[in-house]
Amino acid sequence: MDLNESQPTVVVLSPPGRISLRPMILSDVDDYMVWATDAKVARFCSWEPCTSREEAIKYITDSVLTHPWLRAICLEDDRPNGYILIMPVDKIRKEIGYVTARSPRHPTGVIERALWTRYWGKGFATEAVRLVTAEVFKEMPEVERLEALVDVDNVGSQRVLEKVGFTREGVLMRNFIVMKGSIRDMVMFSFLRAY
Amino acid sequence: MPSKETNVQENSKESSSEMEIDACTLKAMSSSPSEKIHLRPMTLFDIDDFMVWATDINVTRFCTWEPYTSREAGIAFINNFVLPHPWLRAICLDDDRAIGSISVTPVDNIRGEIGYVIGSKYWGKGIATEAVRLVGEEIFKEKPEMERLEALVDVDNVGSQKVLEKVGFVREGVMRKFMCLKGNVRDMVMFSLLPSDSLL
Repeated sequence: MDLNESQPTVVVLSPPGRISLRPMILSDVDDYMVWATDAKVARFCSWEPCTSREEAIKYITDSVLTHPWLRAICLEDDRPNGYILIMPVDKIRKEIGYVTARSPRHPTGVIERALWTRYWGKGFATEAVRLVTAEVFKEMPEVERLEALVDVDNVGSQRVLEKVGFTREGVLMRNFIVMKGSIRDMVMFSFLRAY
Repeated sequence: MPSKETNVQENSKESSSEMEIDACTLKAMSSSPSEKIHLRPMTLFDIDDFMVWATDINVTRFCTWEPYTSREAGIAFINNFVLPHPWLRAICLDDDRAIGSISVTPVDNIRGEIGYVIGSKYWGKGIATEAVRLVGEEIFKEKPEMERLEALVDVDNVGSQKVLEKVGFVREGVMRKFMCLKGNVRDMVMFSLLPSDSLL
């Protein structure tokens, strides 16, 4: 790399603590596509990478906007680089899930290798999980337990949960779910209400 | 010692006062000689034997349900839960009288949950261990789509934890504040058995 090159014009990444959560809206579709089309992001998700803007619009309309509890994870410019959601398991248990982009959106859709900036490993998911965990226990008095099921190979997400303070329960849930046609072992994490 | 009876729904809305006689050949699954128990489908003819364990507060301690207090409620339970259940068997001694029951309830397409209950007079004789072992030996052949047989046991129910360990279930961990049992939020131990596991 030529050291005299001008600085890349990508967004300067703010430290953790500088994210905010808000509902997703349909006009988030282009930012949504940054992560939804990425096969590496989709690897541990139940969905296949998105292949068109029409598909993205349909998915956001049918599944994202209708979700009972889903928040866009936004940086300072209020544009999302992922989302986080809560699913009810039963009266006292909720499950947390999230997805974040590996890299920022680039205006031309092309990211030169020299300008590549990673989003993963910067603490955005950690901060989002931390915020949501606090909100769940504050806003939902009946919830005793927030849990997360993570693929045994998804070490990144396991680290996120551990950093927030989730407890890794037990060794492994063997043959726990079918993900894209394969039977997977999962790790169960939980965070209990502090009395 | 009994584990919780899985997915018991007492508030069944459908009422049926007809006796449903199981006309199928009773399929007996025999155990090794030392225990002399076998498993067979449960019928309304088992109602009086059912009431022996179902009214016993020692038996229901770790079950999600309270002891039964009327024969009518027992009959309704057999009609509405037992007879339609996808896989439930009476645990019987040589005289073919039921002393408890054991069931495998689907959780989803690949997971089933085992649960059992045994009359307290028959505790301490290895009967639960033998019944669970029989199920472990047969269930994956009967249900080839099942990839995981699991059990959730109250942390205080040491007896049932020992039963599962003796059979060869793997203790996966303690799921904290996992279930509401009779108004209390309980920690539960999760066990699993896979088709590839060897029984002990």
